[in-house]
Amino acid sequence: MADPAAKLTPPASPTASFYDLSDDEEGEYNTIMHSSSGRGVKLLFSKSKVYVHPTPSSKDNIPGFIALIQQKNPTSDARPRTSSSSSSKADRATSYLLAWLPESSLGDALDSYVKVELSDASSPPKNTPLVPQPPTSTSHTTPIGTYAFAVPVSEIYSLLIRPPSLGWWFGSVVINTRAGNSFPSLFFHDDECQSTILQKKKLVREKFDPFSEDGGAFWGGDEVLRWLKRYVVVEKSGADPSVYLIEPSAEDKLGFSGKTSTPNSPKLGSKAVGPMSIQGPGAASSSNRDAGMDPVTKALKQARWSFLEKMSQVTSFTRRTAQDIVENPKVPPQVRRLMKNPEVQTLQDEFDSARVYLARWAMGIAEQSERERSQRIFTAQDVLEMEDSDVGEFEILDMEANNLSLAEKRKPLSMKEWRSFFDTKVGRLQVTVDEVKERIFLGGLDPNDGVRKEAWLFLLGVYDWDSTADERKAMINSKRDEFVRLKGAWWERMVDGSGNAEETEWWKEQRGRIEKDVHRTDRQIPLFEGEDIPHPDPDSPFAEVGTNVHLEQMKDMLLTYNEYNRDLGYVQGMSDLLAPIYAVEQDDAVAFWGFVGFMDRMERNFLRDQSGMRTQLLTLDHLVQLMDPTLYLHLQSADSTNFFFFFRMLLVWYKREFEWADVLRLWESLWTDYMSSNFHLFIALAILEKHRDVIMEHLKHFDEVLKYVNELSNTIDLSSTLLRAQALFRRFQRTVEAVDKRNNFPTPSVRQRKPADKPSPPKPSNSGSTSAIDGRRQPGSSAGIDGGEEGKGKTREKVISPELRQLLSRKVEVLDKNGVKEHGGGVGA
Amino acid sequence: MAGTRNYDFLIKLLLIGDSGVGKSCCLLRFSEDSFTPSFITTIGIDFKIRTIELDGKRVKLQIWDTAGQERFRTITTAYYRGAMGILLVYDVTDERSFNNIRTWFSNVEQHATEGVNKILIGNKCDWEEKRVVSVERGQQLADELGIPFMEVSAKSNINVEKAFYSLAADIKKRIIDTSKNDQAPAQGVNVSDQNNSIGSMGGKCC
Repeated sequence: MADPAAKLTPPASPTASFYDLSDDEEGEYNTIMHSSSGRGVKLLFSKSKVYVHPTPSSKDNIPGFIALIQQKNPTSDARPRTSSSSSSKADRATSYLLAWLPESSLGDALDSYVKVELSDASSPPKNTPLVPQPPTSTSHTTPIGTYAFAVPVSEIYSLLIRPPSLGWWFGSVVINTRAGNSFPSLFFHDDECQSTILQKKKLVREKFDPFSEDGGAFWGGDEVLRWLKRYVVVEKSGADPSVYLIEPSAEDKLGFSGKTSTPNSPKLGSKAVGPMSIQGPGAASSSNRDAGMDPVTKALKQARWSFLEKMSQVTSFTRRTAQDIVENPKVPPQVRRLMKNPEVQTLQDEFDSARVYLARWAMGIAEQSERERSQRIFTAQDVLEMEDSDVGEFEILDMEANNLSLAEKRKPLSMKEWRSFFDTKVGRLQVTVDEVKERIFLGGLDPNDGVRKEAWLFLLGVYDWDSTADERKAMINSKRDEFVRLKGAWWERMVDGSGNAEETEWWKEQRGRIEKDVHRTDRQIPLFEGEDIPHPDPDSPFAEVGTNVHLEQMKDMLLTYNEYNRDLGYVQGMSDLLAPIYAVEQDDAVAFWGFVGFMDRMERNFLRDQSGMRTQLLTLDHLVQLMDPTLYLHLQSADSTNFFFFFRMLLVWYKREFEWADVLRLWESLWTDYMSSNFHLFIALAILEKHRDVIMEHLKHFDEVLKYVNELSNTIDLSSTLLRAQALFRRFQRTVEAVDKRNNFPTPSVRQRKPADKPSPPKPSNSGSTSAIDGRRQPGSSAGIDGGEEGKGKTREKVISPELRQLLSRKVEVLDKNGVKEHGGGVGA
Repeated sequence: MAGTRNYDFLIKLLLIGDSGVGKSCCLLRFSEDSFTPSFITTIGIDFKIRTIELDGKRVKLQIWDTAGQERFRTITTAYYRGAMGILLVYDVTDERSFNNIRTWFSNVEQHATEGVNKILIGNKCDWEEKRVVSVERGQQLADELGIPFMEVSAKSNINVEKAFYSLAADIKKRIIDTSKNDQAPAQGVNVSDQNNSIGSMGGKCC
């Protein structure tokens, strides 16, 4: 439990918080000035989404603005100062205040803060807005309810600045005063902060380099320093690069090695401030002392701060985690001792699902840095650098070397380029299909210029690749007619009740199901968001909430698909597959046929006996066995080799794992079948490989693995995942070739196992429909790669299972109608 | 695993029922005290955790949520085995979901551990104008099946808490309190057995 004293409530109103200061200041703050009165202070710079984290729970984080303020008449201002330090040199600095104010306290002034924040940040605004004078403070001793503070810059001794980095989620700034006090850490939530986002973008645009001059990635704290430097002298401490001295004296500069700032710095974890005080003042003073420490102690201190900072971000954690860490023999004794510290233990009490959390934590750090990198265009080299290459050497480099224009091919394919693929006379493709597919596979399609609308119809098999423009026109016309006919058929049956009772009932049930699901499919997408028309059926459960025309079309298309493929019936997940196609095509008949094409390959996911899903999970099982036996053993020990935690990803092709825009990009790559018609399994492998260390280190049981993988949703970086999957595929291909070569070599042939007894042709399994279904072996039988029991004693013989061989095929396996009937379906079943 | 832990017992629950009856919403209400009207369909399986206090003991509830459509039943039934309590959920505004409870029940009988605690839950009880299944019919069915019954609303936060607590209390009574007498440690309830019970939950689904 968090210390109750730490449960801070943000001030209810500006006045409430401002009055809470010392009595002798009260008179002044009674007359809080507003910009309109012309008697406020000048707001030079502000930045939003700077948080104070008063407790370990992120729920309690208080968002606010950091601001640089200029007082009008610094000299006539009778502000009491607790420190008597050198007022002469600081005259200039006295007129400036560095402040932090909770959003909730700003009231009417909020507009001004936002305006200043978003004004072109390269120069001070021409008409500096005036804002109410915030309460000045030079110490931070009574924090309850009064987090707002404004420190005269003259009173600031140093700033402790931690940019976001591998170790820390958020960059932070701690203000240390000359009197030896420290203010709470201010955390810059850059991803929420409008101005930081804009500035970052601008940097990328202008310099094509999101990194600031000194090499680190740009973040909110940079701006604070930049603005301060404009008005006062700011010097980086030679002793500790994270300390910046404000208007330092000569002796400060020289002597900044130990004693300077905190003669009586508050003790670690003083109860009054709650857990946060551990990292505020404690960290500040400790890093000041760091200079004289040996490197090991210093590293430990930093680790400690990093650890505590992390702890303050999270909401739940169990003691068991701490226990696990403490018991881990790899943990150095110093850290172990730290973990036993009661303060730290208190923090951990809040946590739950410990290992899952820890695992996610570890991964989050890696993800963050990856995302930062991905602001640049990814090169294979980048991926190589960031991968630990546990699956061995990646082969992307070869690929890259063989084809210097690959970087070009990784750019999205534009409408213009797409058009250039077709001859101008009859509109027939004049390059090879493979060329087009390679382009789309590697670069995707431009999301904005409408090329998807056309190209997807080729990828989904609505158009023949070698058709002419006229043929396509004719094709789509007849498809439209066919759609209308199909739609009319179920409509008639349901509305006119022309079918038998049982059938009518079935259709009604199907409609109910579809309706329920459509109303909860991708509603965050503007197209599906509205509820602007009344429901056509007043008896529908959704009659009250209303609907919109696109939802209604979705329902009709799905029902029409039922009519088209009556053996299957509607299954949950189909609405997820249809929505992107409809959103791109924005035409129900066209989208319907695109969906039909997509369903040809996805149908096996929806069979009643789930045989298609089983086959894929089994194939994934074999794939991991072959490609990463160590991880496989771990998963086995964690009872996780059913790979069920990939069920959702495989069922709807990662629709729930990536954001909308990424899903479109991913699907169009997968549709090309450029490397394999089952490339989606390599995406799964890529995701798994990315997290394999974390999984092996932290996750010991099925439920932990499942939770961890489920919660990867919306955290996965697509472009690097695609690259990784490509590399893994190449590696897989080479492994298979190597195994085949060896197995064709006749020496130990007598003992050789026979199941994969076909003499290993390079691409044997273009056999189409049947193979997907007959893969009904149990995963426990280790059907995959090793020689099983027969291979006892001697080194395990690698055998490529038929499931794995299938992965080399680029041919899509389409079930025939009998297959669908046999394995479960709709009306008939 | 000795050492400190933040709970005394681990209890696994499972939510089943037709798609769209509000299983995930009930779970979200119970575990995070929140509600989203336009939820997404559950695909596959997931769980949430909440630790509650029962008779002075900290009881950690691991609550599994499943996809409702019967098409996925072959896969979800693999998860019945590890469950100590099952919430059978229907929607009081949806006759069909109520009628299907019998099917769900026989599924439980078939696949779940014998003697597993059950409770019948009628969700969306705030929606009186759309109600088609009366409280009486719900109660009648529960009596017939010999299990407790409660109407809840995840949206209006009615009885959700109570339903989970009462099921957990029944389980505690059945397994934990009686196992003291038998000396036979009940399956997977005591934390020291946690590994086993989690393992069994994993099940082989294919």
